[in-house]
Amino acid sequence: MRKLDNKTKVELIWIVAVIAILGWAAVSNASYLHTNSVNIANPVGSSPEGVVINVTGYQWAWAFQYPNGTISTDVLYLNNNTTYTLMVSSKDVIHDLYIPQFGVNVYAVNGHPNQITFKPTKAGTYIFECVEYCGEYHYEMRGTVVVT
Amino acid sequence: MGFSFELAVFGSTIAILIIMGFLLYYFAVDYRRNLLGNGNSELPKKESNAILSKMSRELSFTAFIMDDSKSIGIRYIITSLALFFIAGLAGIGMRLSLWFPNPSFLTPVQYNILLTAHGTLMLYGWAVGGILGLSYYLLPTSIRLRKDSLGVVSSIMYWMFLVGSLFIIFSRSTATWYFYYPLVDQLTASGGGTLSFGSLIGVMLILVATVVSSIIFLKMIFLDRDESIRLSNLPLFAWSIVSTAFLIIASAPVSIIADGFLIYDLINPIFFQAANGTALAYAILFWFWGHPIVYVAVIPAFGLIYELLPRFTGTKIYSYKAGVLSLLLLMVLSGTVWGHHLFNSGLGTVWDLIFSTTSFIVAVPSAMSVFNWIATMWVGRIRITVPTLFIINAIIDFIIGGVSGVMAADVGVNQLIHGTYAITAHFHFILLGLTTGMAFAAIYVLFPTLTGGRNYNIPMAKVHFYLTSIGTWVMSGFWLVGGFAGMPRRVAGYFGIFQTYQDAAAIGGVILGLGYLIFLINFLYSGSRPVETGTGNILEEEVSA
Repeated sequence: MRKLDNKTKVELIWIVAVIAILGWAAVSNASYLHTNSVNIANPVGSSPEGVVINVTGYQWAWAFQYPNGTISTDVLYLNNNTTYTLMVSSKDVIHDLYIPQFGVNVYAVNGHPNQITFKPTKAGTYIFECVEYCGEYHYEMRGTVVVT
Repeated sequence: MGFSFELAVFGSTIAILIIMGFLLYYFAVDYRRNLLGNGNSELPKKESNAILSKMSRELSFTAFIMDDSKSIGIRYIITSLALFFIAGLAGIGMRLSLWFPNPSFLTPVQYNILLTAHGTLMLYGWAVGGILGLSYYLLPTSIRLRKDSLGVVSSIMYWMFLVGSLFIIFSRSTATWYFYYPLVDQLTASGGGTLSFGSLIGVMLILVATVVSSIIFLKMIFLDRDESIRLSNLPLFAWSIVSTAFLIIASAPVSIIADGFLIYDLINPIFFQAANGTALAYAILFWFWGHPIVYVAVIPAFGLIYELLPRFTGTKIYSYKAGVLSLLLLMVLSGTVWGHHLFNSGLGTVWDLIFSTTSFIVAVPSAMSVFNWIATMWVGRIRITVPTLFIINAIIDFIIGGVSGVMAADVGVNQLIHGTYAITAHFHFILLGLTTGMAFAAIYVLFPTLTGGRNYNIPMAKVHFYLTSIGTWVMSGFWLVGGFAGMPRRVAGYFGIFQTYQDAAAIGGVILGLGYLIFLINFLYSGSRPVETGTGNILEEEVSA
């Protein structure tokens, strides 16, 4: 059996390195939560920023209701450089609205509406999906986000 | 509901089956009594060697009527391997069906049945069953059991486990292994499956069996081990089982109760349907067990690495104390992180912060173990054998899976990858590389003992290793990249932009399947050749009576 050269040094390096990396991750995570708490899913409560869109998930489609009362399904129309707050709820089982490009990921729960705020900064067409399994046509609960 | 003829026929069939089961059990007990004579009472009390030498050690169907710990272990090993192959076939079916963006040869309902069967059977049947099997099999020799009691209880628990897994298979549930509330109680083919409560009953049976077996393991380790083994030199595998058993006893009952509530809600919805989003209450109860179960699947694999690594490097484990500390810390800390599955369900910022911080902390004991193994390999002289390959691969896969897990613990990153294939990749790296890899490493080490003195074919075993290792990398690697691009998991079809990732993952899945097929061929081929070696193995010290 060989001996580990510089035993103390090696052990110190990996203890300090792991704790430093994890500590940095934890602190940056906490500061992100502090400054961007409206950009993650929260229960509806605080006053919403920007344009409010009511989102309802049901088996198996998403309905988006805009402030002027119009409703669109499967396509979400947004304006560039405008702040939006989504009020997400569900009619039946648990769904999860996911827009990868905007980092929007929020559960749709019946009787427990959640809100999330985001701001598109680039025009284009993006995708959204349901990422909480919800039955036979779960995979078809998807569509496009059109930012103009 | 009035009288129903079908129900009466169904009920009487079940009753007849139960009576026949009791008769079979009576005959089996009788047969065993003839085999053993009056058996154990004649043995001198403190002779653990004599007890151990009486235990059968080979894979054989006699194990199904014997009640000693090793026979119970063999039952679980055979059953969990069978379930592993069934669930693996389901997985390959899913991969192939996802070759094209639209559902191809599987309809969405069929896909969802396979999805549920794959997840539930792999976790409850293979991971939990395999751990129960290896614990029952290895613990008696590793702690030199003085007294092998409660065999009948273990046996009943095994049958409950088997019936539970049959329930899961035949229920054809489509509720996935989460059984999230409103879905699981939609008893339609397009919701949770017409018989989804069957898989709930199956999971409850398996969980009860797991909890009772954990209590038996704790009794074995703390009360019935040989006096020569103190807590300060208890083998690390036994420590890992201590940690696992406490974790199971602390968290599985919560899931049993939640499953019971779900079944009750079918008849009279009062628990989760009340008001104010109590659908989430089930999710919370579920993840209180749902997160510990992945540690239950991982910690015994840690224990196996701790046991096997020194034997292949010709040195002691680098730090025994750090190993014990790491296993016990994992037990404590892993009970506090379950909320990270629900970051964006609306728990609120404060809870998100708490759960993401505990998730960062739980990486510390895992890192302690990894560094402990690396240091052991560093100071030792590594002997490359098939099990060593599996161990090294397990460590590498665990590092990748673990790091991607720590990334997902960040709330901001979690917003991007929650519910995508990145998560699937994270746990497949760990469960395929570490849990499954170490289980097969243990089977290869135990091969001469399990087959009564046969050696496995080494080239075929190496092909098995390389195929599964490459398959894991191809499949999970492309999932990881695709997940960061936004590819959702648990879907029977997907946007065409993700086809590259899905096709590559399908190829990886087929490679994996070929690897396990070669294991099966090797097992049957080598196991049927003439006896060529002794029945000893390096994991269990040879017990001479």
